[in-house]
Amino acid sequence: MTLDDLVEVLLNKGAVLHLDLIVAVADIPLIGVSLRAAVAGMETMLEYGMLRQWDADTRAWAMRSAARHELELRAGEESVVRMYGGHLLDDDFHTTWRPGTVHLTDRRLVVLRRDPREVLWEAELSAVRAVRLESERTVGGESRTRVRVETADGAGALLSAADPERLRDLLVRTCPGPLTSDGPRSPLPGPDERALVEGHLWYREPRRDGPLWRGGNGRLTPAGLVWKSPLDARPALVLPAADVTAVRPGAERGPGGEGTVFTVETGSRGTVTLAADEPRRWVEALGSPRDAPALPSA
Amino acid sequence: MAITVDEKSLKHGVLSLVVTLVEVIQEALERQAVRRMEGGDLTVEELERLGDALLELDEAIEEIKADHGITESVADLHRGLDEVVDDVVDKLVNPARWAEEARR
Repeated sequence: MTLDDLVEVLLNKGAVLHLDLIVAVADIPLIGVSLRAAVAGMETMLEYGMLRQWDADTRAWAMRSAARHELELRAGEESVVRMYGGHLLDDDFHTTWRPGTVHLTDRRLVVLRRDPREVLWEAELSAVRAVRLESERTVGGESRTRVRVETADGAGALLSAADPERLRDLLVRTCPGPLTSDGPRSPLPGPDERALVEGHLWYREPRRDGPLWRGGNGRLTPAGLVWKSPLDARPALVLPAADVTAVRPGAERGPGGEGTVFTVETGSRGTVTLAADEPRRWVEALGSPRDAPALPSA
Repeated sequence: MAITVDEKSLKHGVLSLVVTLVEVIQEALERQAVRRMEGGDLTVEELERLGDALLELDEAIEEIKADHGITESVADLHRGLDEVVDDVVDKLVNPARWAEEARR
């Protein structure tokens, strides 16, 4: 029996809770609780004659306001395609994907959420300057193709779509003006920048009361090495590739056992001691960051 | 032993959990919808609207899972929950299992 079956049985049969409670001190009742609760599928509820009026009212109200929450097209505007998708909301507070439907018409590109209705993002096609496909690593670690749209006012948006390639092609075809559909990637060293090596990495942090091994995540890109502990707000160690003068395996014993330590000589920070389960990968990539092959996920 | 709590994997886990619970609710809604449809007091227009909305909900959840790359972990979690429920229900309806377990 699955969880879904269990819930079904519960809802089909229905459950009733009836509770009367008095809290008394010195046999004088002070607080009273009278609790009645019933949970059941609506069909069962109606069988027992509960919530009948409410059910009828709700359906009658839905009947009256039956206007569908579709996108209103302007006069003469024609829909080109609609598909499931979303918009990345990225203001100062949140960075979150908001799901909805991507509508492409011959005049606009709109991301619409139907219920509760809200236009999540909208742009006139005449203002769209560029569209690109970008690959992004998701929270779950899988790679996903997004559609980056840039508009004339310099702002842009990152959209997700059920079929990003098709959306891009249709957008290029529908846009009135010339459109850059493949340009240089955004120069921001975002999560898109290819990682040569990435993984768990120990960092021997110099502290006032002696050095301390701390676990965290290391990420080596052509720009340099960044180490961040999950407990810190920002990376504790940022080594620009140009600053690294030498890398060599260390002899001492690290937190992960024998032969896991390696040291990095830098111009500005002196010797930095690190440890990894597979130090060879890091040492090799750090020794020649520019020539090392990128991971296939990049 | 050091425990590393990765912010990303935490987000991944919480998101998977929430989506799994939403899936359970969605499944319950679908089964109750079938009962209501068979109950026969919905109008044709209501039947159509209900069907469309459930289909859309299903697609939206699939999309959310794919968007965050958690399809696999949600499926795993759902399977895990099912196993736990199966186990508990089995024990509840078959008291003989307790004796078996006690003997072991």
